Amino acid sequence: MTPRPLDPITFGVLEAALRSACEEMGGALRRSAYSPIIREMLDFSCAIFDANGRLVAQGEFIPAQLGAMGLVVRETLRRHRATLAPGDVFIANHPYLGGAHTPDVNVLRPVFDGRGRRPVAWTGTVAHQVDFGGANPGTEGADHAQLFAEGLVLPPVRLETAAGPVAPIVEIIAANVRDPVSTLADLRAQAAACLVGERRLLELRVRYGGARLRATFEALIDHAERRTRAALAALPDGEAEATGFLDDDGAGGPPTRIHVQLSKHGEAMTVDLTGSSSQVAGGINVPWASTLASVAYLVRAITDPTIPANDGTLRPVSIVCPEGSVLNPRPPAAVSVRHLTIQRLADTMVRAAAALWPEVAVAGHFVGFFSLMAEGPSPRTGRPTVLQDVVGGGSGAHGARRYPDGRVAPGGDGLDAVDTHLSNVGLLSAEVCEVEYPWRLVRSELIRDSAGDGHWRGGRGIRRTYKVLAEPQRVVLYCEQTDPRFRPWGAAGGEDGTPTRLIVRDPSGRRMRVPSKGTVTLAPGSTVTIETGGGGGFGATAAARPTGVARAD
Amino acid sequence: MTTRWTVGIDVGGTFTDAVAVGDNGRFATAKVVSTPDDPSRALLDALAALATDGVAPEAIERLVHGTTVATNALLTGSLARVVLCATDGFTDLLTIRTGQRPDMYDLFQPRPGELVAEADRIAVRERIAADGSAVQALTDEEIGRVVRAVRRRRPASVAIALLFSYVEPRHEERLAAALRAAMPRVPITLSSEVSREVREYPRTVTTAVAAGLRPVMERYLERARTSIAAHGVRAPLLVMESGGGLVPADRATREPHRLILSGPAAGVAGAIELGARLGLQDLLALDMGGTSVDVCLVRDGRAPVTGMQRHDGAPLTVAALDIATAGAGGGSIAWLDPAGALRVGPQSAGAEPGPAAYGRGGDQPTVTDAHLVVGTLDEGTPLAGRLRLDRASAEAALRRLAEPLGLTLDAAAEGILAIATARLAGAVRQVSIERGVDPRGLPLVAFGGAGPLHAARLMRELGLGEIVVPRSPGLLCAVGLAGADERLDAAQTVMARLDPAAAPALAAWFGAAARELRAGLAADGISADRSTFHASADCRYVGQGHELSIPLAGLGARPMRVLAAAFHAAHRVRYGHAAPDEPVEAVTLRLIGVGRLDHPRPAAVEPSARDRRPAAATSRGTRSVLLPGTATRVPVDVWWRDGLRWGDRLDGPCIIEQLDATTLVLAGMRAEVGRWGDLRIRDVTR
Repeated sequence: MTPRPLDPITFGVLEAALRSACEEMGGALRRSAYSPIIREMLDFSCAIFDANGRLVAQGEFIPAQLGAMGLVVRETLRRHRATLAPGDVFIANHPYLGGAHTPDVNVLRPVFDGRGRRPVAWTGTVAHQVDFGGANPGTEGADHAQLFAEGLVLPPVRLETAAGPVAPIVEIIAANVRDPVSTLADLRAQAAACLVGERRLLELRVRYGGARLRATFEALIDHAERRTRAALAALPDGEAEATGFLDDDGAGGPPTRIHVQLSKHGEAMTVDLTGSSSQVAGGINVPWASTLASVAYLVRAITDPTIPANDGTLRPVSIVCPEGSVLNPRPPAAVSVRHLTIQRLADTMVRAAAALWPEVAVAGHFVGFFSLMAEGPSPRTGRPTVLQDVVGGGSGAHGARRYPDGRVAPGGDGLDAVDTHLSNVGLLSAEVCEVEYPWRLVRSELIRDSAGDGHWRGGRGIRRTYKVLAEPQRVVLYCEQTDPRFRPWGAAGGEDGTPTRLIVRDPSGRRMRVPSKGTVTLAPGSTVTIETGGGGGFGATAAARPTGVARAD
Repeated sequence: MTTRWTVGIDVGGTFTDAVAVGDNGRFATAKVVSTPDDPSRALLDALAALATDGVAPEAIERLVHGTTVATNALLTGSLARVVLCATDGFTDLLTIRTGQRPDMYDLFQPRPGELVAEADRIAVRERIAADGSAVQALTDEEIGRVVRAVRRRRPASVAIALLFSYVEPRHEERLAAALRAAMPRVPITLSSEVSREVREYPRTVTTAVAAGLRPVMERYLERARTSIAAHGVRAPLLVMESGGGLVPADRATREPHRLILSGPAAGVAGAIELGARLGLQDLLALDMGGTSVDVCLVRDGRAPVTGMQRHDGAPLTVAALDIATAGAGGGSIAWLDPAGALRVGPQSAGAEPGPAAYGRGGDQPTVTDAHLVVGTLDEGTPLAGRLRLDRASAEAALRRLAEPLGLTLDAAAEGILAIATARLAGAVRQVSIERGVDPRGLPLVAFGGAGPLHAARLMRELGLGEIVVPRSPGLLCAVGLAGADERLDAAQTVMARLDPAAAPALAAWFGAAARELRAGLAADGISADRSTFHASADCRYVGQGHELSIPLAGLGARPMRVLAAAFHAAHRVRYGHAAPDEPVEAVTLRLIGVGRLDHPRPAAVEPSARDRRPAAATSRGTRSVLLPGTATRVPVDVWWRDGLRWGDRLDGPCIIEQLDATTLVLAGMRAEVGRWGDLRIRDVTR
């Protein structure tokens, strides 16, 4: 049966309903989650897929998961299509089977038609669990050599059936993670969010009929494709390339190279990542889902952020990346700290875009993404906890942008102290930190002279000092952009920003030698101070500008 | 004997509405143009207009004011200059914010505004630990240094926000005492007085906002009080807060941040007051105006209050009504997105230039224009009695939308209304289904200029029980002011596991808070027998970060396991899962003290004739209207609201017009006029 053509009114109503269903799923997950990284830092996404696992609608929570969740639904279908039953809930985090890294755990639910005969859609959530086992607290480790060090790896398997939770898998998870109470609660919250999505979908199906809902799914994907094509067509044709580097390979080796060639012709774009380093020894390789999400982020940032994220968004975009690249690795390369690499990938893509289009008048952001993870007993409950804090820095300044619709965004300074590009997580509150973890935040302040100067100045970085309060703590630290050569770049005559600095002191105040990525055991009284970089400036300063040249705005 | 009056005056952006209810049931109203440069002038104009209707200033017993002065000062950034004293190492909290960028994809986004200039942030060398002990004591020398630094800057207001002051406020208090001694005329605002809740950033924002508002509100309320006194009003001036309660003006001056979100609260108070008269304890209040719709779920005659709000992306720890807002009002613009899909709002044509039909230069099609095209609004009936609608302009605007869609004018107009209705339904879902409450069967009080036009469609869409349209839908905010009670509240973060050992501490806090609130109410002239208290605890599983508010009967004397059981149940309702074996903790305790005020009731309208048919004089004939779900226009009866009598029945489809609103009743529905002239619309097909 071919569905009736969809009238624009029903399309508008259903599109809004599906988007709000995703947001409702997100609200339920966020507010009942245990892990601060989910509930405070919002490191999760919720989405709705069609029966074939194509992404139809996604709630907007974090760019790092943008548009890539369909890979894991399709893998689940490939393995379990024949045995799907109402009430099934699947769990998966395998980075080589559609996942991003092991802490990002997908929980997925097939939605059956009213009579329970066949799946008509899927609802899914992916959330960053604060710990999913492995060698390090928080599961991540830049110096991991193989995926096998990165905690429990789950291909798509059943977490629940109509009869309830699948006890063996729940027991395996509980036996592998550091804080099973929080992890199991967060998985329950993810499954409950999928159920919320299912209820909304079934209500819509009763109201509008299965055929119309199916037609809407199709139309939504086409709609996103058309809008991306229209937005790309509005930009000038051309080609440009850019190169960026990470400080090392994650394990103390040489810098990792990211190379991007953008070419845009008509309404199609190619992102060629050939020329980037081969997969590296440390845990900073990027699984394909994360490379896809990074490109989806770029497309949004340079075109129109109101284009819905779904399987249509990337149709006009080809990604070229040889297998065995750091951006398309072969198993079992370690991937848990892939976020450092995709921040640099986003930065390099934006740099290429800025070279290609005068419309993209921006300077480089801080992409050092400092992260601290530590395990220790909660001072309140004595229960094992895992602290994770992520610290942003300055974003790049920008010139004015004129949009195809005539709207103009004026030039301006970068933002101070923000998480940039693919992530947007919140800072831990000093009071919450001291109440929940055996740590005290001693300072959290702007670094006054960190901004890249220019007609418009970059945003400033943060200085944040943490102190260990009780018993020796095993601490995982990582950050990027400590090499001054790779600091945030200035644009259009603006100056560069500043590199990242990490300073660890023992209880006597003596500075300890620690790598910028690694694990260290700290005695009570030790401190960790991170100074994140300021963003690049845009345009020459008045002093540097030749006389007679007008201001850029 | 002279009539004694209770007066409510709601100062809005465009109009100022006033109602006076006499102790004999007489009901007087006035509408004057607002005076944004000095809102107290409109207050006086409204009083003068009421006086010509027999409401003598000296016979006013209570004057309640709804003001947006605080809201506007915050929105326009016209706060007083504040110096902020913060713990050393944390003076940049207001700039660092949460570390998140407001927009995830916009590389060109502007920097957020600053509440306190960087040069006006003073570091205080002190530190309190999580348990309240001093890690670094605040010395007298340091106090002296800070006081000098503050004085040098000659601030209009001072905010003190130190870490862990919600546990131990003594450092804030000592610093405040020294500052007051040095600068007796400058208001000093302490974070520990503004909010006793964990998380330094929201507490600091709220404290800085309160400090910046204090001089502004002091000036405004003083001027308002002086001028109404000069006008002959002897009654005290009361002000409505964001939580829907009233406080005397001098209290509002000290805690002005509590007024920031008071705009939508008055209308909800009006719906609650009407609901009480009609015997409706559970209801939805829907206020739809020109730019947006506000929806609130009322249960047991009370609107839920939440403790954390957002303003311009910044969190404020202010008690405000739990309201869902959607950018869908009469002026909301319908547009095509770049791929040709029809959208409605959130952009609004506002009052100027307004919908295309206003003929004031607006050429964008709006919800109001769509109503004019389908015929639910009419050229012959001016809006608010003065604004004539121009059908040709509305059609021209809609045509630009209909043509690229390949739709007829009628289909495009109906589409806009369907999408607008879906957005209203979304807001209703947000406060009901998403809170675990089924909206089916609930009554909905529809008000604001556009509410009664959309309510019947919404009733169909959501299966609501009935629609109540108050006698004056455009004046319900002013009615709510006149009908509200005084309310004070207290809150304290405690972080206590719900085990029997915690019970005495919880009971002790509630006891102390009740004494404090009772004293506050008594100071405002409210006797103990008119005071009631509502206790609640914000609870969560140990390890979670968001709480659910669990009501407690009897000032927290409920056993801990009963409280825990109530939490497990609420968690299951709200999120679809619960963990009865997991420990539960109370994060914040809250107590609300309500001081009941006397509210005169308006008199009943004239009763209907025996056949319950409206009087012939109220008929305005019929007009041809395109109703939802039909392809062709049908003749629809039109009635004039003013002559309707108690008990009159009007069968749908019909339209009921009045100066401040138009009500649509669909086929299969029936409207019945209530005792106070209210309309109650029910679906008779069910």
